[in-house]
Amino acid sequence: MTNYFWFGVFPYISLVVFFLATIRRYRTESFSYSSLSSQFLENEQHFWASVPFHYGILTVLGGHILAFLCPQMILGWNAVAARLIALEVTGLAVAILTLVGLINIVIRRLRFPKARRVTTAGDWFIYGGLLVQVVTGIGISINHGWGSSWFATSLTPWLWTLVKFNPDVSYITPMPLMVKAHIINAFLIILVFPFTRLVHILVVPNPYLWRKTQVVIWNWDRNRIRKSN
Amino acid sequence: MFGLPKRLTILPLFLLGLLAANATAQDPPSEESINYFRTNCASCHTIGGGRLTGPDLKGLAERKDREWLVKFLLDPKATLDAGDPYGQKLLSDARGVYMPPVAGMNKELANKLLNLIDAESALEKSKFSGFQISERPLTDLDIATGKALFNGQKALQEGGPACISCHTLSGLSGLGGGLLGPDLSGAYSRLEGRKALGAWLSSPPSVVMQPLYTNSPLDSEEVLALVAYLKATAGTGELEAESTSLEFTLAGIALAAGLMVLFDILWRKRFRSVRRTLLAQR
Repeated sequence: MTNYFWFGVFPYISLVVFFLATIRRYRTESFSYSSLSSQFLENEQHFWASVPFHYGILTVLGGHILAFLCPQMILGWNAVAARLIALEVTGLAVAILTLVGLINIVIRRLRFPKARRVTTAGDWFIYGGLLVQVVTGIGISINHGWGSSWFATSLTPWLWTLVKFNPDVSYITPMPLMVKAHIINAFLIILVFPFTRLVHILVVPNPYLWRKTQVVIWNWDRNRIRKSN
Repeated sequence: MFGLPKRLTILPLFLLGLLAANATAQDPPSEESINYFRTNCASCHTIGGGRLTGPDLKGLAERKDREWLVKFLLDPKATLDAGDPYGQKLLSDARGVYMPPVAGMNKELANKLLNLIDAESALEKSKFSGFQISERPLTDLDIATGKALFNGQKALQEGGPACISCHTLSGLSGLGGGLLGPDLSGAYSRLEGRKALGAWLSSPPSVVMQPLYTNSPLDSEEVLALVAYLKATAGTGELEAESTSLEFTLAGIALAAGLMVLFDILWRKRFRSVRRTLLAQR
């Protein structure tokens, strides 16, 4: 019964809140759709926080989405032992990058008063949630390998039963506790997503990737401006 | 009678008769109980086909009364531990291995299953007389095929996932197989040979495997090949899972460190121009 709630009902609660609250926030407070970058407030440690975190988590998320959409492709790739190990080690490495970045994010926001000042309770909550997510993910990767294969065989079918509104939790019931915690926490993050800085994911300025380069140059005499101050 | 046609007067009597019969009586076995037995029981028990991991169930009703059997199905361990001599004999025949708790068992289902066993016992040849695995000698080709099936190099015909996703085995190259399920190095001896292992593979009762293989079962040739491979690798020592986990973790850390160095090199000019000014002002 508990399993049915967490893996057959809670995902829907989480997704309904996600969609409704995301749309509502965009319609009523569209200018709050931002991560409210603190890069101007501290720029040195920011690099070792933001860069590993973002490259790490985007790769990890991409892997999860790929296993959900193309499980047979993953299983085909994993059919050769060397490829399976390459994929798993890469997955673990990018998860470690995410963890290193996240720890640096937290340290930076605690260490630098300006960055600390602009950190809200929601930000701390989401850092905590992400920390749990990444630590359980790494724990699963090490203790219950090879997740890339058994995600494709056992978790993808469950996710598709959710998509088809006919949840079959029998795939999840026998899973180790750490896997269950990872899944529940994932849907918890999706639930609080619209109320936090994570909304910036939805407004990533993707056209930056292919628009023409814009060169920003100083068009004034810096010395003169400074002297006048 | 009451002006009703004769055929209709019989109907209420028939319905009353149906109501009087309870679930413990000999109803014809339901489709539900047949499917349940096939998925949950047939991997360890036959009806008239001899012992597998568990005893042959033919003529079960003659061995013990219905009340005890229902109690046993509801909680096998507690019933065996109660000290009953028959329970002790079952336990010693199974070399001290308890029957695992049965998924979704309740009193009604237990009675339906016992009815099914009684009905099948009365037949000359039950449909559960056991998975018929070939007795022919196992060849090197069988072992090679089994290895390819285990590793996923050869896909299972019905599309079931390869064993390596969740299981490891001694003699596997690299860092071994998955750690979600048990190490299968000792599976051949644990299940006492070809017949029982074959039955297990033909309808795996484990809660993780059941949803995966119920609709994608292994065919008899695949089962034989896997039995051959598991037999060939049996007893060569179980992999040390901890050492492979450590190697795996270290490899992950090394690659992550390498990526950090790469970031540092790729963005080596990151603090020039405007950013340098910002840093200086801090």
